[in-house]
Amino acid sequence: MVSLPRWLARPLFYLGLAVYAFLLVLPLLNLFAASFKSDGELFAPGFWPANPTLEPYQEALQKYPLARYLLNSLVVALGTTLGVLLLSATLGYALARIPFTGQGLLFGFVVAMLLIPGEVTFLPLYLLVQQLGWLNSYTALIVPFMASPLGIFLLRQFIKSLPQDLFDAARIDGAGHLRMLWHVALPLAAPALGALAALTFLGSWNMYLWPLVTINRSEMMTAQIAVAQVQNVEVTSWNVVAATAILVLFPTLVAFLLAQRFFVRGIALGGLKG
Amino acid sequence: MSVERRETPWIRAKPQTRFRGGEGLEATLLVVPGVALMLLFIVWPTLNAFWLSFHRENLLGTSREWVGLANYAEMFRDPAFWRSVGATFVFAAIVAPVQLVLGLVAALMVARPFPGVNLFRTLFFLTTAVPTAVAAVAWGWFLHPVGGTLNRALEAIGLSRQPWLTSPELALPALAVVTAWAGVGFTAILLTAGLQQIPEELYEAARIDGAGSWTQFWRITLPLLSPTLFLVALLILLSSLTAFGQIHLLTRGGPMESTTVWIYRVYQDAFFNFRFYYASAQAVALFLVLLLLAALQFRFFGRRVHYG
Repeated sequence: MVSLPRWLARPLFYLGLAVYAFLLVLPLLNLFAASFKSDGELFAPGFWPANPTLEPYQEALQKYPLARYLLNSLVVALGTTLGVLLLSATLGYALARIPFTGQGLLFGFVVAMLLIPGEVTFLPLYLLVQQLGWLNSYTALIVPFMASPLGIFLLRQFIKSLPQDLFDAARIDGAGHLRMLWHVALPLAAPALGALAALTFLGSWNMYLWPLVTINRSEMMTAQIAVAQVQNVEVTSWNVVAATAILVLFPTLVAFLLAQRFFVRGIALGGLKG
Repeated sequence: MSVERRETPWIRAKPQTRFRGGEGLEATLLVVPGVALMLLFIVWPTLNAFWLSFHRENLLGTSREWVGLANYAEMFRDPAFWRSVGATFVFAAIVAPVQLVLGLVAALMVARPFPGVNLFRTLFFLTTAVPTAVAAVAWGWFLHPVGGTLNRALEAIGLSRQPWLTSPELALPALAVVTAWAGVGFTAILLTAGLQQIPEELYEAARIDGAGSWTQFWRITLPLLSPTLFLVALLILLSSLTAFGQIHLLTRGGPMESTTVWIYRVYQDAFFNFRFYYASAQAVALFLVLLLLAALQFRFFGRRVHYG
């Protein structure tokens, strides 16, 4: 293959990048454009609205308690993330730094749990949560997902890789395990914790099947299920559906833009490197 | 976990004390909550899934009775079950290559730094931040039979409009493309991380030997990236076998059950057809398929990670 001269290769590379990026975000741009179209303009030709209007947003916010749905999702995602961070850090630390009988066995157990595809056990999990009386509550959406084998595994690996000298020094200063976890391990594990937090938050925010079956009281619905419900009701008002979807997209989009660099670096650290 | 430093021998004794005094209490405090939750919410439901699948509800739906393998026997004779299995694998067979190729193209473009790389990384990784329901709605509108941009574009170049999500032939492939699109960001992130592990010196040496970018791709990038590619392909396969949200939102398993994939069948039988135990048997079967794939991934993954 003949290689292109440099003055031509550079602009062509950027052109390729721009076209590819445009095609990838096109469905989102299209949704964004629709969310500013009036009912009359929705099915008219033209990608962008000729007369942008906020009516779809007003209608969506008036007819549906979207703030409540977003709050529900936020509570669930934050609760799950905090729980996962806490339990992964404590169990991960114990597996990495406290020698006790059966430690190898327990680590083997965590690794085995990694293999279990959780999506498929939702029927027995549903019965369990029903028996516990947790249907239609935040508890149902948070507690079953707080002990994450992946999180425990990642933090155990990370804490294990920290230099022993630091822990020896803390031990000489009289620190117990709880203080070593809090003052030595956790500050150093910040990149791993950050990546785990981002993954957990997105995973929880994205839950669909589980809230669909465990929540049927309207005020407890999460944002994802609310989008499905709005789409189900507003069969022809795609502008209102689009406005709802954009409002639901907004928080994760902002979080992603803020955390992006952290996220990419953390994943490389997480052991998934090639 | 031995302490190497000889000048402080009294430290060495410490790790050998097992659960004594305050240390034991601390260890218990750190270990027990996580283990208890895993036992209750992972181990117990998994075991119970098998147990449930050996039962059936009585006619009134008031209690259950033991039926042994009857649910499985029925499942193997049930054409609806096999249709859902077929749909699942067709779906996964489209999602995996499409998502892998789209993600690889994106990762190849942004793995190495250049002016403006951060902007393009953000755009290429963006779908990571898009919740399933939002992705589904975006595509529902993009593929809309009347107002959809895709059909408008097709018409503008002289082709005819297609009923993307409402025809039994097109709905499943269309949903597969939606799914692949939604996963491109995450795939690109993983592959970018993989590409960045390949030493730059290899490319420099190849350039000195006169290798063009095509040769470099086939002789350096692809062989060295192949472990990551394999792992990512398995991850995509695993997640596409349980894709649910986009299907529920866009087609409800239709038209004519063409998009009723395995997990969707389980959901429908359990919550709409009042056959919770039959659904459990189908879920267990799906569970075993996924476990097999996960074990494959793990064997592979295990060789590459230090457990030390």
